[in-house]
Amino acid sequence: MVHIDNLTPGMVLSRNVCDRSGRMLLPAGAELTEKHFSIFRMWGVLEVEVAGEAVVEDAEAPAPLSPEIDPELLAEARAEMERLFIYNDPEHPAIKELMRICTERRANRAA
Amino acid sequence: MLRKPQLSVEHMVEDVSTIHSLPLFYSQLSEAIDHPRSSIGDIAKIIAEDQGLTARILKLANSPLFGYFSKIDTITQAVTIIGVLQVRDLALALSVMDVFKGIPEDLVNMEQFWKHSIATGLASRLLATSQRESNLERFFVAGILHDVGRLVMYVKIPEICLELLEQCRATGSLLHRAEREKLGFDHAEVGSALLKRWKIPPRVAEPVGTHHDSSKGDQYPREGAILHFADLIAHALQIGNSGEVFVPELDHGVWERLQISSFYLPTLVRQVDSTYEQTVSALFGGEDAAR
Repeated sequence: MVHIDNLTPGMVLSRNVCDRSGRMLLPAGAELTEKHFSIFRMWGVLEVEVAGEAVVEDAEAPAPLSPEIDPELLAEARAEMERLFIYNDPEHPAIKELMRICTERRANRAA
Repeated sequence: MLRKPQLSVEHMVEDVSTIHSLPLFYSQLSEAIDHPRSSIGDIAKIIAEDQGLTARILKLANSPLFGYFSKIDTITQAVTIIGVLQVRDLALALSVMDVFKGIPEDLVNMEQFWKHSIATGLASRLLATSQRESNLERFFVAGILHDVGRLVMYVKIPEICLELLEQCRATGSLLHRAEREKLGFDHAEVGSALLKRWKIPPRVAEPVGTHHDSSKGDQYPREGAILHFADLIAHALQIGNSGEVFVPELDHGVWERLQISSFYLPTLVRQVDSTYEQTVSALFGGEDAAR
């Protein structure tokens, strides 16, 4: 199984991809393109099987952090998120994760 | 300045619902759908009469949001492939976006308002997908409509709304709480009342009414929970703006009920980001081709 974040265009499916309700989205043997990735995301497909899995086996999504985010930008983004989430409990698991994602996202966009 | 006006939810919507009514075609469409002898062709013909709407529905149907591999070129195909009720829900979302025009800019920037609504609609639809719900378009449409009560209030009591907006910016309070303190109700209830007057099904109207207070609804708790969290996501991503400047407080009970893993959140955010632009251009009827 390969996580969709680790797929690259040109890989070939070794097994049918179905959505959660079992509807087939793409048959085995199909060559993947960028368009398919967004379709997989839309239908909640997180991992697929591709031929010759000489790729990252780990289904752990890579963090979308660019290696060198300016710490100043990151601090700014964090302060903004703390302000934005003032009415939420920063220790609640969902809020904590959301704040982390949004802080990185904001810093990335400011970079 | 504390004049206690005689305001109620019903009073807010009684004439607004007629002045700002859904286009005639929407009720024709609903009638045709509910009529046992209507064919797909009859239903498609009603939609096809509105060319602008037709173009936008086809554009949406061909966007990755749907993920159909075949290109959908006609309304008949859309109705056949996506389903009659789903197409009706999309037509509803698009129709409402045209109903409220001419609200002063100092109260609301309409483009920002709809952007927040679209982000909520997308998040709501994606969450519903992850929860294996069926008939996903009702989640999309509930997201598009969740703050429509604010528009009613901007039309009906603009001075009070402006006062509330300024007060919240000055004191850093949550707008939906301030609405409730001052008026005894909030925009969610007003929106729900408007949708009921428009005869929108309760599966959409009720979640809109409870998206800030889950204790108020019991008929559609799953829809309400999904909408509540979707609104939070749209605020956290800072896409668009409907008046509220902070992320509304998460109802922890709602989060428990959803049974979503925090690990799904990065994927959800990526999905909202990756589909947002195309959805906006489809809904705002931009000129670029649907790809």
